[in-house]
Amino acid sequence: MGGKRKKADGDGMEGGEDEDSRQKKMKHKDSILPSTVKNKERRSAAHAKLKHQKKVDKRKTAKAREADEKRALELGEELPPKKIPRTIENTREVDDTVCKPDDEELFAGNDADEFSSILKQDCTPKILITTSRFNSTRGPAFISDLLSVIPNAHYYKRGTYDLKKIVEYAKNKDFTSLIVVHTNRREPDALLIIGLPDGPTAHFKLSKLVLHKDLKNHGNPTSHEPELVLTNFSTRLGHRVGRMIQSLFPQVPNFRGRRVVTFHNQRDFIFFRHHRYIFETKESKQAESKGKNGKDGKEAKSKEKVIARLQECGPRFTMKLISVQHGTFDTKGGEYEWVHKPEMDTSRRRFFL
Amino acid sequence: MPRTTTVESPGCPPLRALTTDVLGLVKVIETRGEQSGASAKVVERWGDPDSSKSVLAASILDRKKDPLLGVARKSGLIEVISVINGDLRLSIPNVCQDGTRPEDDSIVGLHLFKKQRSESSTRSCTLLTCTTKGSVRIESFEDIKSPADSIRDPSPTTWNACRSGSILCSKMEEHENYALFGGKGVEVNVWDLQKCTKIWTAKSPPKNSLDIFTPTCFTSATFLSKDDHRKFVAGTYCHQVRLYDISAQRRPVMSFDFRETPIKAVAEDLDGHTVYIGNGSGDLASVDIRTGKLLGCFIGKCSGSIRSIARHPELPIIASCGLDSYLRIWDIHSRELLSAVFLKQHLTNVVFDSHFCTRDVAGSAPEPQDVKKVPCQDEDEAMPTKRKKTSKGHGDSRSKKPKSRKTSKEN
Repeated sequence: MGGKRKKADGDGMEGGEDEDSRQKKMKHKDSILPSTVKNKERRSAAHAKLKHQKKVDKRKTAKAREADEKRALELGEELPPKKIPRTIENTREVDDTVCKPDDEELFAGNDADEFSSILKQDCTPKILITTSRFNSTRGPAFISDLLSVIPNAHYYKRGTYDLKKIVEYAKNKDFTSLIVVHTNRREPDALLIIGLPDGPTAHFKLSKLVLHKDLKNHGNPTSHEPELVLTNFSTRLGHRVGRMIQSLFPQVPNFRGRRVVTFHNQRDFIFFRHHRYIFETKESKQAESKGKNGKDGKEAKSKEKVIARLQECGPRFTMKLISVQHGTFDTKGGEYEWVHKPEMDTSRRRFFL
Repeated sequence: MPRTTTVESPGCPPLRALTTDVLGLVKVIETRGEQSGASAKVVERWGDPDSSKSVLAASILDRKKDPLLGVARKSGLIEVISVINGDLRLSIPNVCQDGTRPEDDSIVGLHLFKKQRSESSTRSCTLLTCTTKGSVRIESFEDIKSPADSIRDPSPTTWNACRSGSILCSKMEEHENYALFGGKGVEVNVWDLQKCTKIWTAKSPPKNSLDIFTPTCFTSATFLSKDDHRKFVAGTYCHQVRLYDISAQRRPVMSFDFRETPIKAVAEDLDGHTVYIGNGSGDLASVDIRTGKLLGCFIGKCSGSIRSIARHPELPIIASCGLDSYLRIWDIHSRELLSAVFLKQHLTNVVFDSHFCTRDVAGSAPEPQDVKKVPCQDEDEAMPTKRKKTSKGHGDSRSKKPKSRKTSKEN
């Protein structure tokens, strides 16, 4: 630490522009760092003082900012630009695989990929759901939830068949996707989604599973085709995974059903939610319209406020991509399009989806 | 302040590489700049994206004047294009004639012969193709200026390299007298191209201690050194790398396992004993084949299966590409990633154009004309290219020096 500070001071000496920071540094030097105090009581006192000081400063700046905004609003000036907090997402590492909307190669690639026939509605998706060899308790419950979420999904008992045999069987029966729910210790912990007839195979880790019946105030989904929301699948890999997920659902939602299935990607975790929504019309309050001009008030009276309400139903879980394999399931001779390797985890700000 | 930028890769000396991908595009990647340290960039893209034109095999005829690139497409079409400007020189429609669809009998191997088979003219082109079902064909074409007026050799040499199974890899020896074929259910076999006879077949390794026989499946192969057609390295589906020696025995002289996914690409080094292997989960490593010891892995966030590895004929550089759609350029001594280019599609092949130097790119506009003039102005053209080459050679030695120093430091 000491070394760093010295260096910073040196910089300040060089250029006159750093005057401010230098003064701040000086200020810091006046107040003693709590970590340098040896007596515990004094140290905690110093720490408390420092913390209080920080709190006061923060409030001061916040108040000043608010006052600035208010004044600008009154004077009709332009509001000072709002600062955007720095999050891990918006400081993510620059990635040249992020899809660009004007990339014709991307669209050509989309047309050529395995899902294009489903997404162009040439054929309807038909899903086979099965489990790992051993399966109990939460596994079947999760599968029955999945069956309610995904239309045209069929559950087949696993038996003792090899997965490769099942893939063959599903191909012959014109299934378009195969989902394998893997359970470990009576808890579903992995999801394998295989595109049929020729791949790809995506392997997801499954966590934070809350079943339909364990959700508080859950709604009961109808059997209408759901709407699908996929957010933040920005890179090429994410795009591919997104298309794969999209190909599980029918491409024509029935809006009468008012069901939404959401796959939200945030920091490479894909959050699954299933909701019902409703639009309720409420008459806006009289008091609000009174405050405004007469003309506006008249309009407001006739206006009805429409609010949307959400009700969660169906399972809630989080997925994390482990690998995408080229072709159908083949652990021994599989060719991976993407595998997660430990050497990729050298930065917290690197995301792949 | 957190680090928001990616780590800069050191960049590589001036070079030119071509990649082919599943949408049938050929992309040219160049690094320019006088000193080594420029990052690679895509400079050209030839062809239109079309999934039926997906490239299965590619071969470069790497010569000083008028280099050519042959690409075999999924539809059975073979095209020969100029490396310099991407002009189509020759297009051969579907080669298989006995009623099979190109999807069933796709081309797996393609090779453009360096030496002229017929001495009649310099503008001829001979190529070897090999399909999955094992039909091998050597054909030559005369007068390849444009696809319209090429003359097809009336009597191509054809034979069948396998009776059952499917061929997955084929490789030509440097002097172009021998070729090897191997695949799923096909043991590696070596053919004499002059006589069109099989001179050697491998024998599968014995059952292991548990009496389990692993079925034969070769996924990649390469000859070990330039002068010797008797030694070659093959990679198998069961993640084994095997060294065969024709003069010694029919079983592998040596074999070792590498990781857990099939070996997808094998490339030899110029020194005759180092081999680069790439597998289905994106691991790239160099191995000393004399001892079977791993020299080291190329680490650089490579996450998709490696389909092709190319060694630069002069610079100490290799390039790898594969399903993660990155072309990566590595230094072979420090095993450091020099540059990575994102090319948007699943790549199938990468080749180096070694007769490239930055100076003649500076005046790139008149270049295509020069190429056309080549046959009539042979004498004039020869001089500058030679000079360029020597100057380039100096540059190489210069760029090599610091690198070697670096490696010594590390040691």
